[in-house]
Amino acid sequence: MDLEALWLTLRLAASTTVILLLIALPLAWWIASGRGPARALVQAIVALPLVLPPTVLGFYLLVALGPLTAPGRFLIHLAGHPLAFSFEGLLIGSILYSLPFAVQPLVAGFEAVDSGYIEAASGLGASPKRVFFSIVLPMARASLLTSAVLTFTHTVGEFGVVLMLGGNIPGATRTLSISLYDLVQDGNYAAANTTALALVGFAMVALVVMYLLPSVRRSDGRQADVVR
Amino acid sequence: MKHRVGGVSLDVEFRLTAPWTVLFGPSGSGKTTVLRAISGLVRPEEGRIVKDGQILMDSSTGKFIPPHQRPVRSAAQAAWLFPHKSVRQNLMYGSGWPTRPVQAMEIAEETMSLFRLGELADRSSVELSGGERQRASVARAVVSAVTFEGPGQALLLLDEPFTGLDAALRDELLTGLRDWLTRWKIPVLSVTHTLGEAFQLQAEVIKIADGRVVEQGPVETVLAKERERLLQQLRAE
Repeated sequence: MDLEALWLTLRLAASTTVILLLIALPLAWWIASGRGPARALVQAIVALPLVLPPTVLGFYLLVALGPLTAPGRFLIHLAGHPLAFSFEGLLIGSILYSLPFAVQPLVAGFEAVDSGYIEAASGLGASPKRVFFSIVLPMARASLLTSAVLTFTHTVGEFGVVLMLGGNIPGATRTLSISLYDLVQDGNYAAANTTALALVGFAMVALVVMYLLPSVRRSDGRQADVVR
Repeated sequence: MKHRVGGVSLDVEFRLTAPWTVLFGPSGSGKTTVLRAISGLVRPEEGRIVKDGQILMDSSTGKFIPPHQRPVRSAAQAAWLFPHKSVRQNLMYGSGWPTRPVQAMEIAEETMSLFRLGELADRSSVELSGGERQRASVARAVVSAVTFEGPGQALLLLDEPFTGLDAALRDELLTGLRDWLTRWKIPVLSVTHTLGEAFQLQAEVIKIADGRVVEQGPVETVLAKERERLLQQLRAE
């Protein structure tokens, strides 16, 4: 197995997960507590990577990150080099491509926290920020974990965006899934099998972790009983 | 204030002067909406809410102070205990004395003892029975009101705080709570449709029906008819 590709994949998945959670938390809270056409539009944009072929996203990112567009030129100026075919470019692509996998579980988790808890905390003098961090987030922690696990594993397994945006540069943009593709192209089925098994292992471990969370889920808002 | 909610068109005006005031009226008369408006969880379409000279809400100027900034503490009819916290942590959640944690804890312990929650303090709130949860919810608001950092005292709003508890325990808690709050000079506005509760508290009563204030005054005057009717029913039985 290509250990360099494995290390790069893990680095990419970990960075994507951390950055995406920082973006997804406020975004999901806004979606969960909002209403109206703006909310629907944002939800649609967030869900877009689910239905788009990854190559479409990869193509537009390739153009957007290049010197042909103003944001692309700005990013090149900022980074000091073109972002396409670099780790940073890959990271941007992964963040956008995994956005729905991070945001949607969080939205579901936040929406499941009954507004009664939020009102109770407000009635005790808690500010909206404190309510979010001390009540909403702990009560939706199973969703937070689901969001992190899905983001990580989805990034590990992405292929189309990586190929379009990153190409196949060892140490910089060649991830495990690209390495697997290369091995199959070369007819090296034994090595391809090892790499494929590693990817299956990642997915399996992630799913087992997610389904092994009954103790975390128990304190989720939707399962807490309420006296009326 | 004026506000339309569901089938009720609320239009009420009153002033709280007694240490404990009870909003008395049938279900659906708008009592809970009045409490929610005072605590800031509902924004009335029209009106003005003032506490000790501080305007909490005024529709004519567009002023609206958010709930957490109001000198008001409340407990809803449902318990809404935070399921990831113990009973003690729930009671300490609304403490306004973060710089005096020992004193705040003493208040919480005394309040727990008052509400017969002492032995349950370290239990998870999801392990409590319905009645225990209700008591813990009221106790939580009481701790928050007592530890409120001024200016002035917080107004404590309790929505049917003891409905569903057995009569003996309710009587004991009501008397204990009234004395405890009197000691801390915490004004209370509570909602009830239980006649005995209003009489036991010797509260000022605001009788409300169909979204309007029918009468306001001492319990013996305002609820005299209801009391007489109840006594006649009891004699007939």
